[in-house]
Amino acid sequence: MYKQFLTARSPLRLLEKGLHGGLGRGNLGLVVAGRGVGKTPVLVGFALDELLREGRVLHISFDQSVAHVRDYYNTVFSDLAHSVHLEDAARIHADIDRQRGIRAYPGMPFSTGKLREAVKLEGETCAQPTLLVIEGIQMNGDLREELADLKALAQELSAEVWLSAANSGEHVGGIPSDVAPVKDFLSVILALEPASDCVRLRALKDHENPDVTSLHVALDPRTLLLTRN
Amino acid sequence: MLQDLSRLRNIGISAHIDSGKTTLTERILFYTQRIHKIREVKGKDEQGATMDYMELEKERGITITSAATYCEWNKHHINIIDTPGHVDFTIEVERSLRVLDGAILVLCGVAGVQSQSLTVDRQMRRYKVPRLAFVNKLDRSGANPFRVSEQLRDKLGHNAVMMQIPIGLEAQHAGVIDLIRMQAYAFDGDNGENVRAYEMPAELRHDAEAAREKMLDAVSMFSDDLTEAILEGVVTEELIYDAVRRGTLSLDLTPVFMGSAYKNKGVQPLLDAVTRYLPSPLDITNSAVDLSNNEAPITLSADPQKPLVALAFKLEDGRYGQLTYLRVYQGTLAKGSSIANSRTKRRHKVGRLVRMHADQMEEIQDSGAGDIVAMFGIDCASGDTFTDESIQVSMTSMHVPEPVISLAIKPVDSKSEINMSKALARFTREDPTFRAGADPESGETVISGMGELHLDIYIERMKREYGAEVRSGAPQVAYRETISQRAEYNYTHKKQSGGAGQYGRVAGYVEPLSDGEDFEFVNEIRGGAIPSEFIPSVEKGVRTAIEKGKLIGFPVIGVRFVLNDGQAHSVDSSDIAFQIAGRQAFRQACAHARPIVLEPVMKLAVESPTEFHGAVLKSVMQRRGNVIGTTEEAGFCRVEAEVPLAEMFGYATDLRSSTQGKAEFTMEFARYLPAPSEVQKTLVEKYAGRVKGEEE
Repeated sequence: MYKQFLTARSPLRLLEKGLHGGLGRGNLGLVVAGRGVGKTPVLVGFALDELLREGRVLHISFDQSVAHVRDYYNTVFSDLAHSVHLEDAARIHADIDRQRGIRAYPGMPFSTGKLREAVKLEGETCAQPTLLVIEGIQMNGDLREELADLKALAQELSAEVWLSAANSGEHVGGIPSDVAPVKDFLSVILALEPASDCVRLRALKDHENPDVTSLHVALDPRTLLLTRN
Repeated sequence: MLQDLSRLRNIGISAHIDSGKTTLTERILFYTQRIHKIREVKGKDEQGATMDYMELEKERGITITSAATYCEWNKHHINIIDTPGHVDFTIEVERSLRVLDGAILVLCGVAGVQSQSLTVDRQMRRYKVPRLAFVNKLDRSGANPFRVSEQLRDKLGHNAVMMQIPIGLEAQHAGVIDLIRMQAYAFDGDNGENVRAYEMPAELRHDAEAAREKMLDAVSMFSDDLTEAILEGVVTEELIYDAVRRGTLSLDLTPVFMGSAYKNKGVQPLLDAVTRYLPSPLDITNSAVDLSNNEAPITLSADPQKPLVALAFKLEDGRYGQLTYLRVYQGTLAKGSSIANSRTKRRHKVGRLVRMHADQMEEIQDSGAGDIVAMFGIDCASGDTFTDESIQVSMTSMHVPEPVISLAIKPVDSKSEINMSKALARFTREDPTFRAGADPESGETVISGMGELHLDIYIERMKREYGAEVRSGAPQVAYRETISQRAEYNYTHKKQSGGAGQYGRVAGYVEPLSDGEDFEFVNEIRGGAIPSEFIPSVEKGVRTAIEKGKLIGFPVIGVRFVLNDGQAHSVDSSDIAFQIAGRQAFRQACAHARPIVLEPVMKLAVESPTEFHGAVLKSVMQRRGNVIGTTEEAGFCRVEAEVPLAEMFGYATDLRSSTQGKAEFTMEFARYLPAPSEVQKTLVEKYAGRVKGEEE
């Protein structure tokens, strides 16, 4: 299969349809789930889709090492390339490596100021990212200022920003309680729900749309690939 | 010979350069009374540390070769191999780890887990070496053993457990608190030789209790008895020691110790830990391959009564001839006995047998299983196995990486020419990653190795140790060629005019192999289209052709050559006719299989203060590097990247100037990747020009 077909037939097109056009440039999205349910492979799936469409990704982790994040990309890409018999996979893999930056800030608190520095450096040495993936943040009301600044950064860059957070389990009005205080800054909130043979993606918030439709997209826990459900 | 093997420890001391491992070794030798005066690194007293005994090492302040030494502590015999810290010399580290039973991983208390620590740790994991961590330099500004311990967990994936906490840090560093005995230790005397136990300071009690609880929690995973004792409130020191030892031996636990070797603090408790937690040869299972039984694996037993099996892991040309460092795995090696080299099948008589202490030695009569000794006057190569001839076994081969860089060298005069040959003969025997040979076209001597510094060191050693002055050319990168698509071939070699004729036709296809495979010859001839006696001739011809590709004259890799048809002539077909047909067919097929040039790509890790992050990134990007990622922590950042080796010459100098000398880097071979088309074009044109010049 050729790269263009792969992206055109990606389950993420279905996700975009379910989300009335997707996350959209300049917006923040959040993936919430319990530990070990699959937040990282979902975010890596989003990032690979962007990379395959010639975008640039900056992946920032506050709790994982560079090697760990890179291993995820390598594994998910290899499985994806293998599953669709991707033409010229080695070259595409090399291109993807060049279009993606990884930053790790182990043990450091989340700071949009740090992110701005990283993005600036990325712009000076390569190109501005079109997608930011941010992992390892503990969501709570204290982050309101940082998230407001992050939203401003997303708009300045005209980039999509996907974040992930561990799910506390309690919900307030359909939203996890620790996410609720910052939900205004998030355009899309997706929950990962383990089912018998897959992990389903369910929208908890879809911009301002009151009718949150079913997304029909899931994560296959065996291959860590996003699939149509 | 050592009688009680349970009291023997073969340990290595591995770390990042400048973490202070040579200083630590020096202190260990002092406290175990092997030396009576402490000398420092870099020859402050014009002598240099005992373990840094090569002249060049003393001058550069780094340890290049692994010097062996031994000492006694708590009625235990400890063999120590000091290992080099720079990645260009990792074959030395790997060789050492192969023969060791345990190791101390020295970490700088300020810089923590650095790039070389990652490499060394990966090597230790490969050889399943249990280790203790020693967080050194706690007297330095910015030292933080808690952070380093966390880094051991996060960066190296160790189940690191602090067995001590510091009493004061930086200038206030005064000693350590042992979390098992819950006692404070100070190191008195001019050289810290008097260990004084005293009641821990009240202000540290709370921290110590919290750290002990954490330690017990982690350690109890390895002992049900300890878990029960904790629940019943009857924990004994012995129960904890036993649990820590179990966890360490299974590689599931890394006990963390700390101090400052330079300020003589924390070394004696570390020695106690070596005897207490690291394995004896009896705790380790070593295996070899049985050469008389189709290389079937066999388990060796550390029994001095069994047939001898010993591994030569290091060679040195000293004042008294070749010195061979050996690890005895099974049986007994005795002076005057007869031994056989499993590789060459040659027999040798053991002349002098010595125990090494850096460059000094002690004569011994025999050496039993588990021990590390050296013998004189035996001609062998590094990695050879010796037996007493009653069995034919070989220790499993060590992983030896292929060289990635070459340099043409030319002696300046005839005296240097003779000495250069002697030096090269010795170096290539000592170091399997260093190769020397003659370029068949230019006739020049070409040396190859693992990096620029690796070759630089050998050129300097030639000059210093052998008086051989050489002029070196520009470094040459070890490119490769490969194909990128399947292509068919059908080649007939025919010479039937005058004299004996030649005839051979071969047909089939070539296709790319998956990553990491070199070459595969597949015979799919059915029905005798080519008589079976000529199939090896075709393969021989193809193997000749892959040594030199058509594009730039470098070896061709990653190709499957499938032979599925052909024709022979009853009179004119011969071995040579099919060799030529195979060779030409391969060249014909490759030309249609979109041949490409592969270049060696190095894994680069650069560490610098965060303010130089941008400068480091630019230095990588300017060299066609691909930045994999950046880690920022405690004011430092580590940039990991993959960079073509061809772009890395002179990098050390450039990096120094762009970061005010505050960045350091390590580099090792990662993989071969297709060279960009413009690079390939330049290389192809250059090669074509050279070939044309030679033809004219």
